[in-house]
Amino acid sequence: MADLDQKPKVGASRRDFLRGSGIAAATAVITGPAVASLDEAKAAEPEYKVVADTVTLKLQVNGKELSTEIEPRCTLLDTLRNRLDVTGPKRVCDRASCGACTVIIDGATVYSCTTLAIACQGKKVETVESFDTGPTGVPHAFVQHDGLMCGYCTPGFVTACKSLLDRNPNPTLDEVRKGVDGNICRCGTYIGVLEAALAAAKAMKGA
Amino acid sequence: MKAFEYVSPSSAEVAVKALDGVDAAPLSGGTDLISRMKDLVTSPKRVVYLKDISAIAGVSGDAASGLTIGAETTLAALLSSKVVKESYPALWQAASEVGTPQIKNMATVGGNLCQRPRCWYYRAGFGLLPTKDGKNMVREGDNRYHAIFHTDGDALFVSPSSLAAPLIALGATATILGPKGERTIPVASLYQIPKKADDRELTIAANEIVTKVTVPAAKGKNASYEARQKAAHDWPLVMASVNLDLDGNTVKSASVIVYGVAPVPYRAEAAEKAITGKAVNAESAAAAGDAAVQGAKPLSDNGYKIPLTKSVVKRALLAAVGNRYWEEG
Ligand SMILES: Cc1cc2nc3c(=O)[nH]c(=O)nc-3n(C[C@H](O)[C@H](O)[C@H](O)COP(=O)(O)OP(=O)(O)OC[C@H]3O[C@@H](n4cnc5c(N)ncnc54)[C@H](O)[C@@H]3O)c2cc1C
Ligand code: FES
Ligand code: FES
Repeated sequence: MADLDQKPKVGASRRDFLRGSGIAAATAVITGPAVASLDEAKAAEPEYKVVADTVTLKLQVNGKELSTEIEPRCTLLDTLRNRLDVTGPKRVCDRASCGACTVIIDGATVYSCTTLAIACQGKKVETVESFDTGPTGVPHAFVQHDGLMCGYCTPGFVTACKSLLDRNPNPTLDEVRKGVDGNICRCGTYIGVLEAALAAAKAMKGA
Repeated sequence: MKAFEYVSPSSAEVAVKALDGVDAAPLSGGTDLISRMKDLVTSPKRVVYLKDISAIAGVSGDAASGLTIGAETTLAALLSSKVVKESYPALWQAASEVGTPQIKNMATVGGNLCQRPRCWYYRAGFGLLPTKDGKNMVREGDNRYHAIFHTDGDALFVSPSSLAAPLIALGATATILGPKGERTIPVASLYQIPKKADDRELTIAANEIVTKVTVPAAKGKNASYEARQKAAHDWPLVMASVNLDLDGNTVKSASVIVYGVAPVPYRAEAAEKAITGKAVNAESAAAAGDAAVQGAKPLSDNGYKIPLTKSVVKRALLAAVGNRYWEEG
């Protein structure tokens, strides 16, 4: 099992090279026949590390370090939901087009369905699970203002609103509209969402 | 999405090595590439992640000496640049309308310029020159979002990058790094009209990357204006980016680049000619808008792009000189 934290030596290790070249698919089979071509492998050693199969990924999710095994093709969304049991972010379009999967990485909202988990090693991921559910939090404002119907888009909207208020504690209605531009609600809860965001901004200021 | 191997190099030079000699694709924000990989339109064996290479990210420079924009600069970072907003409004306005807040946080300038067309036939796996039974599927099919210029050929998609039009209007260059070293070309030269099925619409090779964009000093006035069907989650239908070199009120020279009308960012030479030597006002801007559509040959479903192009060019010219009459009550 490769570890992503392991610094690529200048010239990846023989192991990485072999993995990258597809000669040894499983870590357990690293020695053996490959040894014959060791010299050849050394000569061709690139200055980068190739991750070709499963790796151990360490993610900072909601302040906790979580770890799981993934393939390079795993999206952050599927990794959170299917491997780390962080199911707040939802999978709807899976194509960067609806916002249900919105999470905050290093302070900025992104679509986790279109982000590779492997690219998030060492980054800070915040999901709706970590938000304050008390009377001054965004989730509470959604409940108070009927900001949801079926609820499938809701975690994404709550995350977009929370991120907006983190950056801009006094948004105008127009700024809230722009702030949730990246989220779609099939049930049409937009009015409630906009009211909830404005109410949460007020509540946070203690008004 | 098919399995691939992953490389996260520490520099652009190493990235180019990792891209060379394999079926590889550079990955920046992923907002285009990952969706294409999920739809099996593109299935590289290796993905080389560029977005963490901080040496090719960020905006530097000023209006007097020009700007350097690293390819891995996110659109959000570009939009937070004061000099872009104040001195290069054509670029700022175009970037501010792209996609959604999340897309702006994810997408990069390099990825935006190199995003592949959104033509639905291409995205459904039929290629850039989609044909069936010897017939062009776009010409025969639903072409409401397709080209109105260069429509005699088989490439009928429209160039998708919102940033290409303003950057070309502003005279920007792109620096390309590949296995043979570095070269700098006008942003316009990144694009070509594919003639054969396996041609790309990008002129750079698959093992080359854009490392930065350089924008000349801001002189004169510039602006972008676009028309959209939806306010977010979508591309412009038509956009015009203009850059005017003025002598007092008189246009000494003009760049008028139109988005959404051709397989490449389209230089409306007739509009440039029409506005040169004139002061920009409602009348001269409308005449330039009319000139912009000279030679257009719409397809069966996109004739609406003719009046749209006229208005969009007119409004971009007026916006450049501070006349945004359509915003007044
Ligand atoms: C809902 C939605 C709405 C959108 N609306 C707009 C819009 O209005 N206007 C607009 O312009 N775009 C729009 N987009 C597209 C989006 O802006 C582009 O997908 C994005 O800018 C691409 O940048 P990226 O960094 O995510 O690129 P990626 O997806 O990482 O890459 C895009 C392509 O460029 C290649 N590439 C990446 N970086 C480089 C580099 N440095 N050098 C060479 N090649 C590279 C990749 O291999 C890939 O082929 C929209 C997208 C979505 C999903
Ligand atoms: S599921 Fe990610 S944007 Fe729709
Ligand atoms: S509440 Fe149902 S999709 Fe928004």
